[in-house]
Amino acid sequence: MTRSFKSRLSTWAVWLFLAVVLGFLYLPLFPPAIHSLRGPTVQEGGLWANYRAIADDPLLVGGIWNTVLIGVLVALITPVISLLIAQALRAWKKPRLILGLVLLPLFIPGVSMGVATALFFRILGVDPSIMTMTMVQVLWALPFSTLVILTVMANFDDVYLEAAHMLGANRLQAFFEIELPQVYQGILGGGIFALILSFNETIRTSIVQGGENTVQTYLWSQYQQIGLNPTLFALMTLLIGLTLLLVALMALLEMRQARGRRAG
Amino acid sequence: MTVLRRSNLLRLVVLGAPLALVATMILGPLAIMAAVSFWKKTGLTMKPAFTFDAYATFLGGVRFTVFLRSFWMAVSSTAIMLLIAYPVAYAVARKVRPDLTRAVLFLFSVPFLVNYILRTFSWADILGRSGAVNDALIGLGLIDAPLNWLLFSDFAIYLGLVTAYMPFMVFPIWLSLSGIDRRMQEASWMLGEGPLRTFLRVTLPLSLPGVFAAAIFGFVGAFGEFAVSSILGGTGYQLMGNSIVSALNVINYPLAAAMSSFSVLIMFGLLLAWFRLFDLRLFLGKIMGRS
Repeated sequence: MTRSFKSRLSTWAVWLFLAVVLGFLYLPLFPPAIHSLRGPTVQEGGLWANYRAIADDPLLVGGIWNTVLIGVLVALITPVISLLIAQALRAWKKPRLILGLVLLPLFIPGVSMGVATALFFRILGVDPSIMTMTMVQVLWALPFSTLVILTVMANFDDVYLEAAHMLGANRLQAFFEIELPQVYQGILGGGIFALILSFNETIRTSIVQGGENTVQTYLWSQYQQIGLNPTLFALMTLLIGLTLLLVALMALLEMRQARGRRAG
Repeated sequence: MTVLRRSNLLRLVVLGAPLALVATMILGPLAIMAAVSFWKKTGLTMKPAFTFDAYATFLGGVRFTVFLRSFWMAVSSTAIMLLIAYPVAYAVARKVRPDLTRAVLFLFSVPFLVNYILRTFSWADILGRSGAVNDALIGLGLIDAPLNWLLFSDFAIYLGLVTAYMPFMVFPIWLSLSGIDRRMQEASWMLGEGPLRTFLRVTLPLSLPGVFAAAIFGFVGAFGEFAVSSILGGTGYQLMGNSIVSALNVINYPLAAAMSSFSVLIMFGLLLAWFRLFDLRLFLGKIMGRS
């Protein structure tokens, strides 16, 4: 009796602890939304005045288009490279070397990696552009996306590939007809993950941005030059909302995938 | 025969090219940065040379105090992050029902995915003199005047660093903990050790690969920080990231390169220690499957 009470108490203590930590982590997601619906602009122009003001700043609108373009590029390029690296990892049995290389950017301070890449481009004579910003973000997203794809590939049994080979399929056929249908949701997940990271990257991008802006670099430079204002809070709210939406999409994919695994 | 060889060559190119590209794009910049750190600054540009000028400027000047502060803040905040992340990971791996594990881990990954700079702006707002915390404390009658030490203080910096980097640290620790064979723990119990000693002598040592990986991640983030320090530290407060950015702003590339290289060197030292001490397969076995 006392024992079960004690174990129930400890279960509650565990959940309370997790809830408190999560509370601290989620609390900062709310203030921008509150501030975006306040201020003198709202009293004059209505509840959504700060959001409408976003469209009035041509620099910011340009930044939004750049963000979308770079985000799409990063989301398309990263999972493909990740998939090929994951395949190489399986084919060549050098996990320490390959994984060590791909995960390296996780362990380098963002500022340092930004400085290094900026000097690299400068010495090679590559001018800052959308392309350099995309490359920097792909490298940042790569470790995460590769881990997502590796996790999915770990659930795929190589025996199926061998069976395909024995039935006369070549490597490409075996990959496209047998493995890809099994792991494509992981590739999709890696792509969404890369998109989220792209939307939320500041420092690496800002060091190689040149004359172009993304939403995040715009936000950071505005903060440094003139400080925050209600329009920027509206922008932050949209960024947080969009990120949460993408995260929900990723979770949905993973749930479907898990259900598929159980059913299969 | 030739068909087979051609398909092997194709495979080498298809799988090798992206790897080579990634290697170039990661190692190339680091190598060039290391080289530039020995170059000479001349007016608004730089020229190839082999001098230690940049390092002398860094180690001899006020920037070195920034380095020392960064180092201390990184060590102490990493300790705090581990003290939170480890119990979280332990709870998720051992106390939470298995069918809820993924959901709880997911909840921890969401805030990490929102740019931590935005989250740090929010902390500045919450902790400010007219922010939510002070309002609540005054409203409850606990204090008469707003607390000044909440914002622009070490407390604020620690809070910002912990919320920025701690969520991600849960994952490597959880990965390590969930990979431990439970029979080890049961064996320890059967041999008469209590739960605490079992934890200290069996579970904790076996989870160290994940703990160390998490610690490197947190340390590197906090050490090179620029946003948390400038938002929550107040005017003039600098960590290593700010110092490097300020060298870039005065177009002193060799100095920025020297400070960055120094940071990367510290990180390489830590990573090397990790590779030496632990087996990567032990840690990533789950992800790498049977290979």
